[in-house]
This record gives sequence, structure tokens and C-alpha cells, in this order.
Amino acid sequence: MSSRRRRVVAVIFGGRSVEHDVSIVTGHQIMDAFPADGYEIVPVYISRDGRWFTGDALARLDNFKDENILQRAGVKACLLSPDARHHGLIVDPLAPRFSKSDVRRIDVAFPALHGSHGEDGSIQGLFELADIPYVGYATLGSALTNDKIMTKTILRQAGIPVLDDHWVAREDWLAEPDSVIAEILRRFSFPLFIKPATLGSSIGIGRADSEALLRASIDVAANFDRRIMIEPAVTDGIEVNCSVIGLGQHFEASTLEQPLSWDDFLSYEDKYLRGGEGMKSAERLLPAPISDELTERIKETSIAAFKAVDGRGIARIDYLVRPDRNELYLNEINTMPGSLAFYLWREDGYTTTDLAQKLVQLALDAHVEKRRTLYDYQTNLVDLASQRGIKGSKGSK
Amino acid sequence: MAELLLALLAGIWLLGVWMRIYQQARFYQIEEYMSGRYLRWVLARRGRLLPARSIAAWILGLAIGGLLAQAPASAVPQIIALIAAVVAVYPARELEMKKKIAMTARMKRLLVSAGALSAIVFAALHNAVSAFAPMDMNLLSSVATSSLGLALFILTPVWLATGNLLAQPLESLLRRRYLRRAAVTLEKLQPKVIGITGSYGKTTTKNFLRDILSARFRAYATPKSYNTLMGISLAINRDLADDYRSEYFISEMGAYVEGEIDRICQLTPPDIAIVTEIGPQHLERFGTLDKVKEAKYEIVRNLPPDGVAVLNWDNPYVREMAAAGYPNTILTVSRELNVEAARAQGVAWIASDIRETLAGLTFRVAHLASGEEAQIGTRILGEHNVTNLLLCIAVAHCEGVPLRDIALRIGSLQPAESRLAQEKTAAGITIINDAYSANPKGVVSALKVLGLHEHGARLLVTPGMIELGNLQDEENHKLGLLAAQHATDIILIGKEQTQPIARAIRSTSFDLSRLRVVETLTESIDWYQQNLKAGDTVLFLNDLPDTY
Repeated sequence: MSSRRRRVVAVIFGGRSVEHDVSIVTGHQIMDAFPADGYEIVPVYISRDGRWFTGDALARLDNFKDENILQRAGVKACLLSPDARHHGLIVDPLAPRFSKSDVRRIDVAFPALHGSHGEDGSIQGLFELADIPYVGYATLGSALTNDKIMTKTILRQAGIPVLDDHWVAREDWLAEPDSVIAEILRRFSFPLFIKPATLGSSIGIGRADSEALLRASIDVAANFDRRIMIEPAVTDGIEVNCSVIGLGQHFEASTLEQPLSWDDFLSYEDKYLRGGEGMKSAERLLPAPISDELTERIKETSIAAFKAVDGRGIARIDYLVRPDRNELYLNEINTMPGSLAFYLWREDGYTTTDLAQKLVQLALDAHVEKRRTLYDYQTNLVDLASQRGIKGSKGSK
Repeated sequence: MAELLLALLAGIWLLGVWMRIYQQARFYQIEEYMSGRYLRWVLARRGRLLPARSIAAWILGLAIGGLLAQAPASAVPQIIALIAAVVAVYPARELEMKKKIAMTARMKRLLVSAGALSAIVFAALHNAVSAFAPMDMNLLSSVATSSLGLALFILTPVWLATGNLLAQPLESLLRRRYLRRAAVTLEKLQPKVIGITGSYGKTTTKNFLRDILSARFRAYATPKSYNTLMGISLAINRDLADDYRSEYFISEMGAYVEGEIDRICQLTPPDIAIVTEIGPQHLERFGTLDKVKEAKYEIVRNLPPDGVAVLNWDNPYVREMAAAGYPNTILTVSRELNVEAARAQGVAWIASDIRETLAGLTFRVAHLASGEEAQIGTRILGEHNVTNLLLCIAVAHCEGVPLRDIALRIGSLQPAESRLAQEKTAAGITIINDAYSANPKGVVSALKVLGLHEHGARLLVTPGMIELGNLQDEENHKLGLLAAQHATDIILIGKEQTQPIARAIRSTSFDLSRLRVVETLTESIDWYQQNLKAGDTVLFLNDLPDTY
């Protein structure tokens, strides 16, 4: 590839996920971050019901207020071809008479998708088939971190502190709710958190102080996942988040934040807002108000966890921390954090443009690394098999 | 010079006619391109037909021009007439525009057709008049042109109606092609069709059913409140053209005239039909509730003998449909009957132990034939939604979704747009948006929900209900009584049509200093933003089209 040619980056957003709308915002933040010289951005929007579209009108967030956006001039159906030779999108694949479909080559895919079908390895699998470099975790890491139960199992193995948990399958819950409840109450006491195993946002998550609420919360969670995780609620801790970027041997951890909820915001208002700071900064405390030693431990733990789940690209890693007791529990790993955690990296001197470009570079590096793996290995097996006949041969596996 | 000024004068008036056509086309669209309804709307108030400023400017222009005309060749009358014309045709400021004109292909065709028609008539008449009024008589010619201009300006509704008529052959050709395309698409997809009709509850039921059936199948529902033949075919052409997966096609079918559902069923013959409620909605167009029932019954008549009719037993008119005994499978639901009564009357599904809190509805549902029961909990508000849910449960269960799965899915349902949807503003005020609720049942439910907010002020904002025919005053009176009971503050929008509500409120002990009557929705929003505080609640009940 000539270095003078602009890099074509397909930013993919929307998606068949309950976090569809957040993804639209993240997608536009990413598209706006790239400098116009050097990059050509191809917006790819996946509708709620799983249809793919591309076209310049999709690169403007304002246009998404228009419910007829998909009927606009220049917006065309498209799909990412799994055929490795295409190396890109097929635009207008079912073109009507008198028009034709085209292949649009892309250099790097940048999925800005949150949650199901985007952060769970499924679209990463498509990128692998298409043999296109892509930003973020690979198939395994995405699938693994998308599942809270599996993530914790692996992290325990790696010696990283996580909370105890119990999980139930939806089939078991529907068949024998009473024995499921009995088992949960035998292991834990209230309050409990009930979470669908694979959702990134707070959707479907419930907190229960009583058996009735526990049952209702499992019912809600069961709408969003096949497996449901129950864990004891940490009532005296604070949340702390850390972002990690990197690949292979080089990783960096960002400044830590303490996110604030609406209730926290009200109680912190007096303490922190009198200095004339705007509302915006009240969404989080940056850096998180914890000791240097604990901060350092969280950064180290974050990089260790990132490696343990075969991470690459970027992640935001969320913790529950009890600062007075010097205790921390890794809560979850988000491989496509909302807004790409841009705000955390700003403190470390990265602009959004730096970060977006760095992630594209990491995607290209990862693809170069992938090239070391052989996928094509000549054998004469087919010849042999056709000579002997298929029935007699057992194949090489 | 004189000819030029005269042409300019004619040009200004023609431009004015065109601007008025554009401005009026919005209302023509709101009245669904039906000339009769639109003309009735125009004729209902003198100001709509006769623009006072335009007429005054015309009279003044002619009078002043006549007085100042000294010589036949003087340009003064023409210049005065020009100024008058500009004042006359300058577009009026719209008081409040809730729905802007939608520039659909059809609207563009109508505008071109009406615009061309008015221009041709103007040119022809202008030529004819010029023959009698010699061009060198400047006063006379400008009087003639101005008068002609004003006449055409006032006749704007005629240009729209005639323009629409002229566009008819093309429209019906396009319509036929459009329908054929939709039919081909459906033929390819072969989905099971579920049709929903009723005076109200259609959209909510449609969305609930789509979400519940999705627990097991791929179900497509027409968007928003699309419920006309063209709306439904639009949805099919747009959404299903390259869809090879949907197993169910769920559509609401509106009946604004007799035979309309028959026509919709020709395109999408239903396998399952749901009738929600028969009530006074759009009663004006039908006259009697029996006629409304007949129009809605078309959906059941269009079922095949092995189809399924799912009916709301609690509504006497819908109950009569069940009594007709067609098709073989009729499933009825009730939230009013107890087990014994339901069994005696052959009702299939009942709800009991219905409770409503701000967290949502809970009730117990029972299938009497099998004895299956389940506890239902949902965040959806409004007791009338129990009926909507029962109808969905009956369909989903009949299609093989286990009751337990149905219950699970109902736990995560969300209200449809503007139907008892609650949200909190940044200022901490709870807004209950029930802008689509224009029917007596929905109104009762919505006011009860408002009453559940025990802390803070409870403000009701409503223009009342319309299109309820001879039941309108009575139903609005009931609304007033209930409002006085559940709200602490009331804002009525539109002095004239809310009189029955105001009268009812005055007949109660409601503190009249907390009752306000305003003319626009905007005023009511200004008021609540200035006067309410965190913890208070506002219910926006019904929103009228701009034609009111």
C-alpha cells in the first residue's frame, strides 16, 4: 500500500443490541476524531433489525434524528463480504435493475459496537473471515470478556481479585425456580446483584434485598440472557475505572476515574461543585480520589487482566474498591467502552485524534502479527483421496 | 411601463395564490387528502376561508388608488395596487405548528397540479377581462387584475381540491403499482398475518404482541400507527423487500370508512384477527357505534374458517362479534369477569387481582380451558393495558409460546411512543406523555396514573377529546369530573372545545384558581416550566392536530 494513499477506515456502529443508540454516539465520536488528510472514513450503520447501510449521510449525527434517514439519497444497503479477495464492503448487494453493486475496499474496520453481535466476537469472526485488520479485541478475547461468568473464571485463574458469584441457566430457572432460589440463599445473603451474563450496560441488572425482588430481578435478567449471574452487593465500596491500550508486549494504563451516579452527584455537589466547575465534570472524579499506592496497584492489575484475556487495542476495566481496607475487585472488562474512554486518556496527554490513530495502528500491527500464522499448507490429500475413493480413507484428522 | 406594472401586479397575486396553496396544503394533508373533510374544515370558520387582512388591503388599495387617480394614464393607481397586493398576500405567521407539511412525492404532485391549475385559470381570466378593461385605463385594469387576484386567492381550497382531482388518474395508477409491489413482496415472504383493529389500543397491542412473539419467532410489526392500506403497503415495500426471515406480519388495520378493512385484507389476508375495543373514536365519520362495529367486523369476516379471532369480551360491541360464531376458533379475554362468570360465558382468558402502582401493573392471568395460570408483572402503566396484554397472551399462547415465557417477556415491555410514557426532566419534574390517548378508556387510565403520584403537584394539560360525535360533550364532561378528582392543577387548551370539561370541573369543589385555559400547547409548557418544581408531575393528555 502506498503511504500517500489515504487510509480507508470503516467505522461500524448501531447494531443488533440493546446498546444500539449508545453505539451511534460512539461511532460518530470516532468518525469525528480522524483527521481528514490521511484518512477516508466510510460510515457503516447496522440497524436495530440487523440491516447494513453505508453512505455519507450516515456520517452526520444530526441526520439520525430524521426517521427517514435510511431513505436519503446516497444511503445504500451494504454488507461486509466474507470473501477475502473483496477486502471490504459490497455496496447495494441486491441492486435492482439498471444499477449495479460495487465493492468498496476498506483498509481497517473500526467496530464502534457495544454489546451483543458487536462486542462478543461475532463481528470479529466476520473480520477474520474477510481477512481485514480491525480495531479492538480479537474473537476469543471479545467473546470471553463479553461474558461476566467466564471472565471471572479466567481472572481467578490469573490471580486477579474478583467477587464470588453463582450463576444459573435460564432453562433451569424456568423449570425449577424454587431450588435455584434455595441454592442462591444457601450461598449468599442479601443484598445481591443480579446480572445477565453478557450485557455491558446497566440494562437488565437488578439489585435485590428480598426473595420477592430476587425472583423478579432474575425474571427481568432472563429476558436479556440465557445465563444469569448472582453476586453479593458490595455496599461500602466505590467504583473505579481504568483504561488500558496496547498489543503484544506494550501496554499503557490510563488515569483512574471514579464515575458518579445521579445520587452520588447530589451528595457530592456541595463538596465539589462550589468551585465553579461545570456540570460535566461532576459525572466523574478525575483522577479518582484514592491513594497513590492503590492507584498503582489498579493500573498493574489492569494490565495483567488485559493480558490474561488476550486483550488488544483498548479496554476500560471497572473495579469495586474499598479504599479504607485497600481492597479491590475487578468487576468487568469493556472491550468497546462508551466514547472509547477518550476522557480518561486526555489526562495522559492523548487527544481523541491520537487515540483513534493509535488504535488503527494497533489493528494494522495485529494483522501483521497474524500474517506470521500459516493458513495455507499444501498437501496431496485430495489427490490421494480421489484415487482411493472417499469411503476407504479416514482423512488425516 | 403600464403593461409592465400590470404584469408585475398579476405576478404578485399569482405568487400569493401559490404561497397560500402551499400553506393550505398542510391542512389538506392533515385531512388525509380528502377534499370533503378539508372543505368542511375551511368552511367551519369564516377566518379560514376569508383572510381579513388580504380583503382589507384590497379594498383600501382600490379606494386610495381611485381617489388619487387624476388622469387615465397615471401610474399611481397601479403602484398603490402593487403595494396593496404585497400586503394582501404576505404570508400570515402561523400561531403554532405541531405538524409541518411532509414533502412526500404525492404532496409534490399535488402542489404542482394545484399551482399549474391556478396559473392557467388566472392567465385565461386575465386575458378575458383585459378585453373589456382597456389596457390604457390604468385604474380600471389594476382594479380588474387585483380583484381577479383576490378572487383566486380566496379560492385556494378549490385549487387544492381540483388539483387533487386532476392528479387522481396518476395517483391511482401509482397506487396500483405500489400495491402490486407489496403483494409480490408478501407472496415471497409468506408470513402468518395477524391483523389488529379497534377504536383504540391498536398500536399498543401491536407492539406488545411483536415483542412477546419475538420470544420464540421472528415477528415484524408495521411501524408507528400505520394502519391504512397505503401506509401498510408503504411499510411492506420499505421494510420487507429484502426480508427473508419474518415469520409473522403484525399490522393494525384502521377503519375510517366502511370497506376499508376489506381492502386491507385483500392485500394482507389475516390468519389471526384481534379486536381491541369499539368506542366513540371517529364516531363523527360513522354516525353510530353499530356502524363502527360493522366496519371493524370486516376483519373477522376476512378470516379463513380455520383462522383465529381474539376478542375483548368486556366490550359489548366486540362481544357481539363473538356471538356471531365465526370462525371456528374464537378466543375471548376479560379483565372484568370472575372465574365462575367467565366459565359460564365461555371466556378463554381472564385477569384477576389487578394492581397498579407507579412501578407498573401486576395481575394474575388464567387460561380457563387448561387451568394454566401465571403471575404477570410489567412496568407498563394504565389499567386498560391489562386488556391489551390479555389479547396478546391469547395469541402468543395459541401460537405455542409457553405461558411462562410470555410472562417473562411482558416483564421487559416498554410503553409505545407517547402512550403513558413517563420520564423525569433535568429539573426533577415527572412528565407523563399520553399525547396519543384520545379515547374515554385511555383517559380514565391516564388520570388514575396521575393520581398515583402522591407527592407534589399533579398538573393535567389537555385539549379534551374530539371526533366523538354526539357522545363528545358527555365524555368530556366525565373527563372533567375525573380530572378534578385526580389533578391538583389543570390547564385546558382551546377555550371553545374544552367548555364541557371546564363546566364539569366548576361543578365540583375543585379550587378554580388552579384551573387555567390557554390557547396553545406552548403556553401550557411555558407555565409548567415556570411554576412547577422537582417532585411535581405533569400529564399531557391527548394532543390535537393543527386543524383544531
